[in-house]
Amino acid sequence: MGSETLPKQFIFNEKMDKEALYSLYTDDFAYIEEIFATILQHFDADFSSIQLAFENDSLEDLKKAVHKLKPVFGYTALLDTQSHCKNFEDLCADVQSVSEITEPYTHIKNELLEAKDIIQNEYARLKTFNANQL
Amino acid sequence: MSLTCIIVEDLQVAADYLNRCCEKSGQLSVKGHFAAVPEALAFLNSNVVDLIFLDVEMPGATGFDLLDQIAYSPKVILTTSKAEYAFDAFEYNVTDFLKKPFTYQRFLDALKKIPPAPSDVTENTITETGIDHIFIKSDGKLIRLNNEDILYIESMGDYVKFVTGEKKYITHNTIKNLEEKVSKQSFIKVHRSYIINIDKISNIRENGLFISGKEIPISKAHKQEVLKRLNII
Repeated sequence: MGSETLPKQFIFNEKMDKEALYSLYTDDFAYIEEIFATILQHFDADFSSIQLAFENDSLEDLKKAVHKLKPVFGYTALLDTQSHCKNFEDLCADVQSVSEITEPYTHIKNELLEAKDIIQNEYARLKTFNANQL
Repeated sequence: MSLTCIIVEDLQVAADYLNRCCEKSGQLSVKGHFAAVPEALAFLNSNVVDLIFLDVEMPGATGFDLLDQIAYSPKVILTTSKAEYAFDAFEYNVTDFLKKPFTYQRFLDALKKIPPAPSDVTENTITETGIDHIFIKSDGKLIRLNNEDILYIESMGDYVKFVTGEKKYITHNTIKNLEEKVSKQSFIKVHRSYIINIDKISNIRENGLFISGKEIPISKAHKQEVLKRLNII
């Protein structure tokens, strides 16, 4: 089988909105790989800020940290996660103490970790895909 | 159109994406990326740009804090993920509001909203000289500055900064051009980058002088002339 049989299009994880990805990057898969790499490079630091704010019982910092990470899920077209971050951010503005949002926090934390896994997997697949296009 | 800009954004991927949009447009030259307001302000204190892409929520200070502190008024395009800032954006008279992430087409639409520079912006921006005052064009207005209020004038590349005790005004001009225009009675060029108000000098040292706590260099070429103008006993 020659290279002409390689897939011309990359099939993204079903949780990623294909139209949103196309609207941002068209079919520039090398650029999407670059974007995902940048996101993964900074993800842990930004995620730690969320955890730290929660542990320090700081609602304001928690809200800010989630706000900062939220657009990442726009750039990766994980639109549900982006929307859940927005809801959590709004929730932070509505309560008086971090202790009131322990359950939503646990939920969003797990969702963020799952999202990171998806981005990581897609990044690895894209890397292979792009390498095979050369 | 070729504009200079900076990106003030704490999310790296957003800054990279924006930087790429700028490059792709061929209309913008990105002079820097800053992840926090103090760094951006430090840059803007000594550099002039035409446009700022400004995130709102950043560590320590907001984008609006930057707009409150900046000495001149470049065009501003807000980039945020929070639509709630649209009203504040309107209050600050920003050119456009981009909700992250935005498409390249939306970015281009925002650029189209930037009004063209006035045709006279590259001309001499001092429109009238008088014995005791000058008029300068700054922020689209003609502003009268009395000679006695001006401490010094500092070069910033293609721009100059008029420093008074109250405020700083940045306008498109050069020290070389101003040297001919300002009152020779009140002002003297002391360095290729500075014209000073001679009445405002508080003290002089070997290679510099002080005005309102600011040390201004005196070049060798201008030193004799400066000393001649001073009332030295």
